[in-house]
Amino acid sequence: MRRRSISYSRYGFLFCLPFILAFLVFSLYPILYTAFIGFTDLKGVATKEFHVLDDPFENFKNLLFDNDLFRNSLLNTAIIWIINFIPQLGIALLLTAWFTNRRLKIRGQGGFKILFYMPNMITAGTIAVLFSSLFAYPMGPVNSLYQMLGWSDEPINFLLDKWTARGIVSFIQYWMWYGHTMLILIAGVMGINPTLYEAAEIDGANGWQQFTKITLPSLRTIMLYILITSMIGGLQMFDIPLLFQNGGPDNATYTASMFIYAQAFKGQYLYNRAAAASMILFVIAAVLSAILFYLLRDRDAARLKREERRIRKAAAKGGVMNA
Amino acid sequence: MKRTLALITAIIMLASLLAACGGGKKENNAGSGSNGGNTSTTTNSGGSSGGSGGSGEKITINLWSFTDEIPKMTEKYLELNPDLNVEFNSTIISTTDNAYQPALDQALAAGGKDAPDIYAAEAAFVLKYTQGDMSDFAAGYADLGITEDMVKEAGIAEYTIDIGTKDGELKALGYQATGGAFIYRRSIAQDVFGTDDPNAIKNEIGPGWDKFFEAAEKLKQKGYAIVSGDGDIWHSIENSSDKGWIVDGKLYIDPKREEFIDLSKRLKDNGYHNDTQDWTEAWYADMRGEGPKPVFGFFGPAWLINYVIGQHAPDTAGDWAVTEPPVGFFWGGTWVLANKEVLKDEAKKQVVADFIRWVTVDTSDNGLQYLWANGLMNENGTKDTVASSVVMAKSNGELDFLGGQNMFDVFVPANQFASGKNLTQYDQSINDIWRAQVREYTAGNKSRDQAIADFKNQVRDELGIDSE
Amino acid sequence: MHNTAVKKTNSFALRLNRTFVYIVCVFLALLSIMPFWIMFVNATRSTPEIQSGISLLPSGHLMRNLEVLVGKSFDPITGFINSFTVSAGTTICAIYFSSLTAYALVVYNWRFRQPFFTFIVLIMLIPAQASAVGFYQFMYKIGWTNSFLPLILPAIASPAIVFFMRQYLLGALHYEIVESARVDGSGEFATFNRIILPIMAPALATQSIFVFVGSWNNLFMPLILLTQKEKYTLPIMVNLLRGDIYKTEYGSIYLGLSLTALPLFVIYFLLSRYIIEGVALGSVKE
Repeated sequence: MRRRSISYSRYGFLFCLPFILAFLVFSLYPILYTAFIGFTDLKGVATKEFHVLDDPFENFKNLLFDNDLFRNSLLNTAIIWIINFIPQLGIALLLTAWFTNRRLKIRGQGGFKILFYMPNMITAGTIAVLFSSLFAYPMGPVNSLYQMLGWSDEPINFLLDKWTARGIVSFIQYWMWYGHTMLILIAGVMGINPTLYEAAEIDGANGWQQFTKITLPSLRTIMLYILITSMIGGLQMFDIPLLFQNGGPDNATYTASMFIYAQAFKGQYLYNRAAAASMILFVIAAVLSAILFYLLRDRDAARLKREERRIRKAAAKGGVMNA
Repeated sequence: MKRTLALITAIIMLASLLAACGGGKKENNAGSGSNGGNTSTTTNSGGSSGGSGGSGEKITINLWSFTDEIPKMTEKYLELNPDLNVEFNSTIISTTDNAYQPALDQALAAGGKDAPDIYAAEAAFVLKYTQGDMSDFAAGYADLGITEDMVKEAGIAEYTIDIGTKDGELKALGYQATGGAFIYRRSIAQDVFGTDDPNAIKNEIGPGWDKFFEAAEKLKQKGYAIVSGDGDIWHSIENSSDKGWIVDGKLYIDPKREEFIDLSKRLKDNGYHNDTQDWTEAWYADMRGEGPKPVFGFFGPAWLINYVIGQHAPDTAGDWAVTEPPVGFFWGGTWVLANKEVLKDEAKKQVVADFIRWVTVDTSDNGLQYLWANGLMNENGTKDTVASSVVMAKSNGELDFLGGQNMFDVFVPANQFASGKNLTQYDQSINDIWRAQVREYTAGNKSRDQAIADFKNQVRDELGIDSE
Repeated sequence: MHNTAVKKTNSFALRLNRTFVYIVCVFLALLSIMPFWIMFVNATRSTPEIQSGISLLPSGHLMRNLEVLVGKSFDPITGFINSFTVSAGTTICAIYFSSLTAYALVVYNWRFRQPFFTFIVLIMLIPAQASAVGFYQFMYKIGWTNSFLPLILPAIASPAIVFFMRQYLLGALHYEIVESARVDGSGEFATFNRIILPIMAPALATQSIFVFVGSWNNLFMPLILLTQKEKYTLPIMVNLLRGDIYKTEYGSIYLGLSLTALPLFVIYFLLSRYIIEGVALGSVKE
C-alpha cells in the first residue's frame, strides 16, 4: 500500500522536471550569472576577462547613492505603473461586476469581451508611434482640435510636459491591459461557487452587496495573481516609453528597464552596472511582492487549504483502497 | 545527496543535448539559406587567383549594414562582375532604437562563420569601429591591398581618411562626402532678398551666426521662418566645433556646442523657426512649405536633397538652390570596414578586398563612386557627392530639383570644413541627451545652468562618463 | 401594491443602469477598434496623406504601398513562417509543460509539492530584465544565435501560466476521473494526455491566446538573437522599415504592421469562443 502511493507521488516530481530543468538552464543560470557580473568589472563589448571588484558592492553603491538617473527611473516606473494600474483594475472590476451581474444581463457580452482584449494584440511600436503623431507638435490632430475648440491660440507642445507624457504612457499601458485583467477576473468569478450567490439572493442582497461581500473576497488569489503579474510587467515597461518619446521629456518616462538596457547596450557596455541594476530591481520586486502577499493573506483560505488537504488525503486513501 | 547529483548530471546532459541539437539546426538552416551551397569555410584558393575563378565553390560574404544602400551596391557589383562566384549575404539592422550597434558588436565578438565580413558604420558611431572599443576587429586596408598611394590618387577627402585611421593604420573609408550647405527656397529668396542667386544669398545668411540672425529677422518680417527647427542648425554646429564631446576620457562641452543652447533659445524666443524636431512629420511638412510659417531653408549635405527633401516634397522641385552655409560643417556618411578574420581566408579576402576597393578608391567610370555621383546606379538614380575628388572633378552635379544648379560647385568646397577630429564613439547617445536638455531650456522648463548640469549628470549616470 | 412599486422603480433603475453600462462598453469598444482602423486605413494611404493627418476613410494606395514593401526586402512569407514557428513553438511549450506542472501540483501529493508551488510563485517575481544580460551572454557563448530555440525553450518554465493552470485545475478537475482512469489501467502520463488535457481545453485556449500574442509581438529578444535575414520575424522586418532614415514610407510601414496583425486576428477569432465563454478559475471547491 505504501509503496503504491510513493510510486504515484514520484510522478509529481517527474512531471515537474521539464519545468525545473528549463528554469535552471534558461532562468536560474542566467540570473546567477547576471548577479555575479554585478560584482565584477565586466564592461566593454569584447571583454573576455573580468574580475571581481576590490569592493564587490561598488556597482550597487554607485547606483543607489550616486546615480540620479537610476533613482529617477525607479520613480518614473512606479509613477507610471500606479497611474496605469489603479484605473486598469478599477475598470476591469467594474466590467467584471457588470458582466457577471445576474440581473443586469448585458447583451453582446461576448463581443465586448473580444473587443476589450484586442488592444493587447497590437504591437507596442504601432501604438507608441500612433500616439506620438496624435500629439504631434506644432501640427497634429490633438493640436488642431484644441485650436478648433478655441482652447488654445498657439500650438501646444504637449509632449514637453512631463505629466502629459507620463499620462499618455500610462494610458497606453492601461488601455492595452484592462481587457486582459478583466478576462482573468471574470474567470475568477466563474469559479466562485454559484450557491453562494443563490443564497445571497434569497437573503435579498443587491448586486453591489453581492459583489463586495461574495465576489471580492473570493477573488483574493486571483487579485494577487493580477497584482503580481502586472507589477512584474510594470517593472519591465520598456518598449512603449522607448518608442513613444525615448524616455523624454527630460527623462519623465525613462523607466528602470530602459536604464538597464542603456547601461548594457548603449555607450560603454557597462554590463556590470546593468547587472547590478537588474539585481536591485529583483530585490524591489521581491520586497513588494512580500508586502502584497502579506496584505492579501487570507486566513480563511489557509483554513480551507488545510481542509482541502484533509479531503485529498482521504481521497487518496480511497483511491488506493479501490485499487 | 545522491539525488542532487543525479539531478545535476541530468541537467548537464540535457543542456549538452540541447546545445548539440541547437547547433545542428543552425547548420541545417544556414545550408538551406544559401541555395544549398556549401557554406563551410574551407578555402578554395588553390587553383584560382584573384578569387574570381568561376569553377570553385561559391563564396559567401556576410555584409552588415544599417540601410539597404550597400546591399544595393553589391547587386551592381555582381552585375559588373558576372563571372564572380560570390554571394553577398546582407544583414540590415536599422539604427533606430539603437539596435544596430549591439547586434554588430556581438556578432563581431562571437566570430565564427556567421560573423560579418564587411560591415558599415555611420558617422555617429564610426569611431567606435575605427579607433574605439571595437577597432581591433577591423582589418587594415593595407592588408587588403589598398595602399596609401591608391587613396592619394583617388583624392579622397581628408576627414574621411582621418576618421578611418587608427595610429596611422587605415581601417575604413567612406564613399560619400558629406560636406554641408544651406539649401533654400528660390521663391522665398526672391521675395525677401530680391534675388535667388546663390552667391548673393551666401552673403545674406553668413558668414557667421550674426549675419544668419539678421537674415532671420528679415525673413520674419515677411512671415517666413529661416529654418524648420533647432535640429537644423545643430548639425552645422556639431560638426564645426573644434573638439568632440570627450577629451581625455572626460565629458567636454566645446564652446561652439555650448553656444547652441543660446542660439536655439534665440531662434525660439524670436519665432524664427517652426519649432519642429528633425526626422518628424512636422519637419517633413516644412519641406513642403505646409508648416505654420513657410520655411526658407535647411542645412544639409547632398544626400538631404536627394533622399529627404526630394522624396518628401517632390512638388517643390526646381524651387531650391544650395549655397555656402554661415558655418562650414559636414553631416553623416557611411564608412566601410572589413573583419580581420577575412585575412585568414585567401579566397574571401580577395573578394572583400576587391569589393571595398571598388567602393572606396576606384575612380574609373565603372567605379562605384562615379556611378554614385552621376546617378547611374539605377534608372532613376539620384546624384550625390562622393569622397574622391578625382571622381567629383569629372562628374556633373546639375539637378533639375535645384533649378539646374550644379550642386557640386557648392558641396565640393564644403568638404574642406569637414573634420574628423571632433567625433567620439558615443556621439549618438550624447547628442540625444544634449538636445533633449537644450529643448527643456528653450521651452522654459528649466534654467540654462540647470539644463547643462542635468546634461552632465545624465551622461555620467547613463554612459559612465564623468565631466571634467 | 407596495411590492410592485418597488419592482417598478427597480426595473427603471435597472434600465438606467443598463443604458449606462452599454454607453461605457460601446465607448470602450470604439476605443479598442480605433487604432486598428487607423492602422488598416493608413495601409491604403500614401505617405504624404498620412503625414497630413489622421483619416478614417481608406484611400487608394494599397498596391503602391505593397510594391514599396516588397521592394524593401520585406518578405511577408518568410516573416510569417518564422514568426509562426517561434510563436507556435513558444505557445506549445508554455501551455503543455505548464499544464503538466500544474497537474503535478494538483493531483500528486509528493514531498516537495508545497515548497515547489511557493517556489513557482516566487520565481514569478523575477523580471525578465534581471536575467537578460546573463541570458544574452550565455546564448552567444553556446552559439545559439540565429536559432529559434532560445526564443522557444525558455517558455517551458512559465511560472505565471502554471499558476493560472493550477487555479483552473483546482476547480475543474474531479479526482474521481483520475481514479477511474487508473482503474482502467491507464498510465499516469497517458491519463494526463488523453483525459486531463481535454478537460483543460478552455484554459489552454485562453492562455494560448495570451502567450501567442505576446510571443508574436515580441521584438527585443528576436532582434538581438536573430541576425540572419532568413530568420527574421515579422516585427523585426517592420522595425527595419522604420530604420530607413532618409525617408520613412509610412504607408508601407502601416501595411507591414497590418500584415503582421492579420494572422493574429485569424487565430484570435478562431479561439475567441473560449474568450466569450470564459474559463472558471476555482480556488474553492464544492
